[in-house]
Amino acid sequence: MRSFEDYCWSDILTDDMTRIYSAYHRQRAISSRPALVVVHPENGFTAVAQPEWPKEVERIAAIARKNGTPVVHSRRNTDDRLHVRIAPEDFTCARPCESAFFFSDLERVLTRQKVNGVIVVGAPASGAVRATAAEAKSYGYRTAIAEDATGDESSLLRKVALFDVAHKYADVMSADEVIEFLQAGKGTAS
Amino acid sequence: MTTTSDPWIDILDDETRALLAARKPRPTGGKSPVLIAVDLYDLVYDGGNRPVVELMDDYPASCGEYAWGALPATIELFNQTRAAGIPIIHVNYDTRAETDPWNIHPTNRKRRQKNLGLYSIKSELAALEGETIIYKKRASAFFGTPLCAFLNEMQVDSVYMIGESTSGCLRASVVEAWSFGYPVSVIADASFDRYPLNHKVSLLDMHLKYATVIDVATATREMRSSKPVHEVA
Repeated sequence: MRSFEDYCWSDILTDDMTRIYSAYHRQRAISSRPALVVVHPENGFTAVAQPEWPKEVERIAAIARKNGTPVVHSRRNTDDRLHVRIAPEDFTCARPCESAFFFSDLERVLTRQKVNGVIVVGAPASGAVRATAAEAKSYGYRTAIAEDATGDESSLLRKVALFDVAHKYADVMSADEVIEFLQAGKGTAS
Repeated sequence: MTTTSDPWIDILDDETRALLAARKPRPTGGKSPVLIAVDLYDLVYDGGNRPVVELMDDYPASCGEYAWGALPATIELFNQTRAAGIPIIHVNYDTRAETDPWNIHPTNRKRRQKNLGLYSIKSELAALEGETIIYKKRASAFFGTPLCAFLNEMQVDSVYMIGESTSGCLRASVVEAWSFGYPVSVIADASFDRYPLNHKVSLLDMHLKYATVIDVATATREMRSSKPVHEVA
């Protein structure tokens, strides 16, 4: 696994920043029974940063479906153009606000699926993905983000958002690292 | 920071400049606002008015110079808010041992500071008789608290929000206030974080997505003209 700060924000890090946030450094992992939460961006969204994010989501979702990890799509508006395919066995929740949890039935779906963690992917990283990861932590889920499966309208906003969330709320890792956890009979953390 | 009309001015690039240019103004300053002050407890002022990096070993939760730097503006804001008859709702962390025997934390920061006495609101900013204190366990002031109910009962129509950290509990609270439907004004010079980049980017993000970022002087002008009426239904 890459080192804690070796992700998309590494080029904006300063020595002071690394030192100040070192109290958040820790072991990262995917929980033993996660769900993949795909946050769909609203219509008109254009990813300037990491435009390949939907392909990375598809890659993770394919593995998740194969090993029985629930895939939940959080959609702002069901009329929106789909960036990511929804398979028949997937779940879909409406997303009326920013976080996928807020005023939606996501928490109910996760409880019924008996998950103990979430992997958040989608766009925008500095908006709905970040808010969802922060709230997943508040709901008590071990939370991860696959960074290359997140896009944004701004590279700077994406880097700082993923930095903040990686330190405070979620285990940020690459799509490959997430897939490795999923394939190794899921995660190691309880 | 004394003027905050554009607290993000020195971090903008072409992409963020374009997003700012496309931003549509949102409603602000209703007739019956409240001021919500998030997590202004002693812990984040710990170690004194010094660079955060120098405080990390002994005071890993401190915001040092940034906390102390925002203090005069925050005291001034509290004076003006009270003078305008606008309620202040203080938000603090619930430290009662029986509420958390399993040591479940709202963030992934290692707790090196064991002195729970530091979770008391800084004396200069302490709640006055009759002001509300909301005790929370998670990042947002709304999560698992009666804050939303109180805002409805008080017939609040908009919120001013300040506190720390800009990228953490303040931001989580702002996103939820917006999600509940309130116009939100974030007062930049009465808010702070551990590092300027994270502070500025979260202010910019909130201004683009959920709130209007203003300064204490602007908030004061709005408060003087709002003639607030707060009656419990």
